[in-house]
Amino acid sequence: MGDLVIKDLNQSFAREDGSRLVVLENLNLDVKDKEFVCILGSSGCGKTTLLRMIAGLDTSESGSIALDGREIKGPNPKIGMVFQEYSLFPWRTVIDNIAFGLEMQGVPREKRYTVAEQYLNLVNLSQFRDSFPSELSGGMRQRVAVARALALDPVLLLMDEPFGALDAQTRNKLQHELLEIWEKTKKTVVFITHSVDEAVFLADRIVVMTPRPGRICRIFEITLPRPRDRTSTEFAGLRRDVLDLINQHCSIQ
Amino acid sequence: MAIASLAVVLLLITAGCTQPAGTTTTPATGAAAAPVKELVIGYQPSTHQMAFVTAMEKGWWAEDLAPLGVKKVSDKVFPSGPSEMAAMQAGDLDVAYVGSAPFLTALGTGLDAKIVAGVNTQGSDLVVANSIDYTGPESLKGKTIGTFAVGSIQDTILRDWLKKNNVDPDKDVTIAPMSPGDAVTAILASKIDAVFLPAPSPSVVVNQGKGKIVVHSGEMYPNHTCCVLVVSGELIREHPEIVKQIIATNDKAVAWNQANLDEAAVIYANKTSAKLEDVKSSLAEWDGNWASDPNLIVDPVLDYAKIQYDLGYIKKQLTKDEIFDLSFYQTS
Amino acid sequence: MGRHAEKNGRDWRLGALAILVALAAWQFIAAVIIRYPFILPAPTDVASAFFSLVGKGDIFVDLGTSLVHFAIGLGLALLVGIPMGIIMGWNRRIEAVVDPLIELLRPIPPLAWIPFAIIWFGLTTFSAGFIIFIGAVFPIIINTYSGFRGVPRVFVEAGKMLGCTKDRDLVRYIALPAALPSVAAGIRIATGVGWMCLVAAELFGVSNYGLGQKLWFYYSLHQMDSVVVYMILLGLIGLAFDMVFRHYVDKKFLKWRTGEVA
Repeated sequence: MGDLVIKDLNQSFAREDGSRLVVLENLNLDVKDKEFVCILGSSGCGKTTLLRMIAGLDTSESGSIALDGREIKGPNPKIGMVFQEYSLFPWRTVIDNIAFGLEMQGVPREKRYTVAEQYLNLVNLSQFRDSFPSELSGGMRQRVAVARALALDPVLLLMDEPFGALDAQTRNKLQHELLEIWEKTKKTVVFITHSVDEAVFLADRIVVMTPRPGRICRIFEITLPRPRDRTSTEFAGLRRDVLDLINQHCSIQ
Repeated sequence: MAIASLAVVLLLITAGCTQPAGTTTTPATGAAAAPVKELVIGYQPSTHQMAFVTAMEKGWWAEDLAPLGVKKVSDKVFPSGPSEMAAMQAGDLDVAYVGSAPFLTALGTGLDAKIVAGVNTQGSDLVVANSIDYTGPESLKGKTIGTFAVGSIQDTILRDWLKKNNVDPDKDVTIAPMSPGDAVTAILASKIDAVFLPAPSPSVVVNQGKGKIVVHSGEMYPNHTCCVLVVSGELIREHPEIVKQIIATNDKAVAWNQANLDEAAVIYANKTSAKLEDVKSSLAEWDGNWASDPNLIVDPVLDYAKIQYDLGYIKKQLTKDEIFDLSFYQTS
Repeated sequence: MGRHAEKNGRDWRLGALAILVALAAWQFIAAVIIRYPFILPAPTDVASAFFSLVGKGDIFVDLGTSLVHFAIGLGLALLVGIPMGIIMGWNRRIEAVVDPLIELLRPIPPLAWIPFAIIWFGLTTFSAGFIIFIGAVFPIIINTYSGFRGVPRVFVEAGKMLGCTKDRDLVRYIALPAALPSVAAGIRIATGVGWMCLVAAELFGVSNYGLGQKLWFYYSLHQMDSVVVYMILLGLIGLAFDMVFRHYVDKKFLKWRTGEVA
């Protein structure tokens, strides 16, 4: 059950001169169970702030975020997150990273590793079980990060531009892999990205946000069946629609 | 690899080339030796060396030596004999007011200098903490005594006296070497059982109510020489007239001190930043004597040399001619 | 792998050669140019002094005594320094209060603490350990707290998302392992500095044994060849400590750091 309801969310920060910078204004969004939603927008539109609030890492000034009817008050194991920067614990091996969440839950040793190994297989990195993150490439590290986030079997998976630092080929490959994993594990996914291409490839719905103040400009429904062909005319058409919207700073209706 | 072989060969050839301790290269004395422009005198802050302090503060060193070509006289203070002698070995001092024992150890490792006059005899006290019931040397068994470093007069006399009284200075007591400042600090803080120090330190302790004087060094070794006047070999060879005058000025200062004790105490307290009342009580209670005739101290000093040799502090037996130059002292 | 080993072998031989040449130069300068053992004892003088000191047997007791002083000082520095560094690194307010005090105390050289070491702790082994503590504790505090401060926020947040939410657990599972390289560096520096304080620590009569104590002893007797023996011993042991860090600690506990750049 991964229903996410965001209602009347507001967030602002105090600037040095005393005035307030409004980051999010009256944001409302519903994400259905098992949906793959991409949040797309330029820098400063508040998408990372939004994601952090869903994660429970930050709290909002007003409004509410509820998962399956329960308000989110702080980080909790039902929500997993893959960060933009490399967030694997460098002092732990790959398997120990994946098992970390289970360790925190007090799961006994043997069971921990059994579960962790399942997720390791899921991301196709079994032969790197005992390697350290420093020995892995960027793409491999993010795959481990996904496995680590999934190990606690969360209902909602948050991803903050996880493939942003990778080269195009690895990126495409990982997008495929992510969709496979999503189809297998049936999680609700909220995925932040800069890339229109990525959003059109991955999402059921694309939520386009604009900055100053951060708000939802428009939501696109992508009904193309998966796996999607990046070279097809429908794909290109959708891309163009989204790009146009963004380039006109959300003024097209 | 060639460099390595060369290095090893060099090492082997020159092994054993360093001169044995005790011999020095004598510089050639030219027709007219270069005039001494600045004279540096080393001393320690003890009332043993009050003659030096008086002469310095009254400007007599400068006054008396100017006609002999000395333009400037400066002094250097040392906390103890061994450091003073190290400075002299390094060439920093021309003259030193120093304990005879540290001079001997330095002489034994090659110092080019000689004793030309005495400075004082006796004048150190054994001070014990008030909590100790002192009935004699055996009361010191199991105790820790702070005193000057190994090789000093105090260390030498203390060990010798303990041995003569059947107290083993290594096994029955702990003799802890430290600077007089640290020793006084330790006993004032009640952290050490006893200290054996030259005047005026014992009075500092007594006046603070932290100890009692139980033995004068003269009881340990009657009429023992303490400080002596040492002059560099260079000065002796090239400027005997300066050496003569140094002794004369010293005697002048001694005579003046004895006649003007209170004023001398003030001068001393000002120079060394000691408390005047400590200096005064020290002068009242000590068993020290200022005396400069070196002939009187030949035997005690030779005895020290032997004691130090027996203790293993010096590696060879020193002779009278190596230690003294008695030609400069003239009875007035 | 072969090239790496060959390069290591070459470095080792170059190092040994450098030392040999230095020794020869020293011998030459001392024996031929200066010829005054007080001013500069030659390596051969030092070697013969070393053998006679070993024959006397005191050297081993000296070594043991110094190691005890050092162990007390370093142990205390770890006990005080690491918790303090953790608290300061974790809590900004405490850091703001404590940091000025540390910055004031740190520049005071350990030697200057001798009078108070005597006054507070007397002439005991602990007193000597205290002087070493003064030298060793500051690098530990500073490196520990900068290590904690430098823990990337993303690790802490990833930890929270994975269920590690209590402060105590965050310190234990996230901050401490992340800060460990810094903490280890601090301990390594502290070991070096603390060992250097040994000579100051043994200056004021806490014992009749000790590498530092003997150094002053032979200095008082103007036997500089023995002084050099003890200087070299102090240097070699300091080096040994550092090598333990470099080859054992770093390899065993911090191997996760070696990454793409070997």
